[in-house]
Amino acid sequence: MSPRSSRIRNIFEPLDPSLIAKLWQDRFGIPEQAFAGCKFFRKARSIWAISDADLPRLSFETIGMRIMSCKDRPWKPTTSALQIFGRYAAKNLIHLDREEAMIFLEGGSQVIESDCEIGYVVVFYRGDVLGCGLYSHGKLVSQIPKERRMASTVESEACPD
Amino acid sequence: MDCLDRYREIVPDYEAFRAIQYLPLYNSARINTLKITREKLLERLEEEGVLFQSFHWYPLGLKLDIESPGKLLENLLGYIHIQEELSMVPPLVLGPEPGESVLDLCASPGSKTTQISQMMENRGLLIANEPSLARIAPLRSNCERLGALNVAVTRYDGRNFPRGPFDRVLVDAPCSSEGRERRGPGVLSRCSPERSQDLQVLQIGLLKNALRLTKPGGVVVYSTCTYAPEENELVVQAALGEAEEFRLEKVCIPGLLECPGITEWNGQRLNDDLSCTARYYPHINDTGGFYVAKIIKN
Repeated sequence: MSPRSSRIRNIFEPLDPSLIAKLWQDRFGIPEQAFAGCKFFRKARSIWAISDADLPRLSFETIGMRIMSCKDRPWKPTTSALQIFGRYAAKNLIHLDREEAMIFLEGGSQVIESDCEIGYVVVFYRGDVLGCGLYSHGKLVSQIPKERRMASTVESEACPD
Repeated sequence: MDCLDRYREIVPDYEAFRAIQYLPLYNSARINTLKITREKLLERLEEEGVLFQSFHWYPLGLKLDIESPGKLLENLLGYIHIQEELSMVPPLVLGPEPGESVLDLCASPGSKTTQISQMMENRGLLIANEPSLARIAPLRSNCERLGALNVAVTRYDGRNFPRGPFDRVLVDAPCSSEGRERRGPGVLSRCSPERSQDLQVLQIGLLKNALRLTKPGGVVVYSTCTYAPEENELVVQAALGEAEEFRLEKVCIPGLLECPGITEWNGQRLNDDLSCTARYYPHINDTGGFYVAKIIKN
């Protein structure tokens, strides 16, 4: 590997934790304490979270978990991050029944009645966080990444994170 | 399977060892305590009618009587990770603690990485190194699915990984994988003493660097899933050399039967301390095959 090109690609810039916590608080009502013990970094248009520890001077491919993408507006939480922090959500969450959960896990879109605001939501089934959904005009579009979907023949317009 | 013939003298009950190679390995999984407790997971499996049996030597290991365990919701949600039984041994021998600094030098696809992360309770720092770009994706994907928050991924050639020191280093080295025949029949047809000899050069380089990167008092675990002494005892002997700063500690997992590492091969006398290392054979515990050495840096 070429250290020079790698270093240019791998610039992780530290972020103020309260800034990130506020975004999650505003959208999902997740309290700041849910992120206690985490450090945050930005690389390109992604935000990463890692348990608080001193990082040695190395060239990193990833630092902890990719928790959100800022490629588009609004920012989008990853399914992985919601499966960890989403259980503390107090708003913009949707509970599905079994049939709906299966459609969601297969990456599908469906009509769901909810009073959620338009945008990304935390999707639950029987107390488990399944992942990230996009809710708009009564329709829930699964954002589960392809490799984490239930096998299905259904093709979806969903955009995996 | 003729490449196994040369192990006739070192494998106990050699005929049974040959015969079991034809028997496919059962599916197994590890419970991911970063996301769920053992009790809750077992309750879920029972509710869903999934037949399982806990390993008698490791309560977080399960034999699953199901054709495609990868399709279980519990797997998709990261509550379990499909992992071969003996692959759970090296992290246990490494014994990482929460808050430590740990290096997994050959990490992808991350089964052992994520097991180490759960033993560290997501605290401290675990560097998962993987030189191959193509193998970074599965490593990342497993870490994220299983909710590992204390893992940073690097992509160095493990022989030149630049910086330590670490409390513990795992070298789960690239190997000829003879011990995986029950999982993927045909593996043995690609094995030969020459291939093992070629891999040895890389393996010694990896282990030597791991020893360098470890703090005094720290632990290095070297493991492979092969029987070839060229890739096991001979690697450990060559990497340790005459240095007195290292000592081998006995590898023993209660409930799992190991055979001692060999101290003689092809007429060559090896270091007696290599008997502290462990050989796991498929016919003895009804598993795959593995080799594990634990080295302490004084």
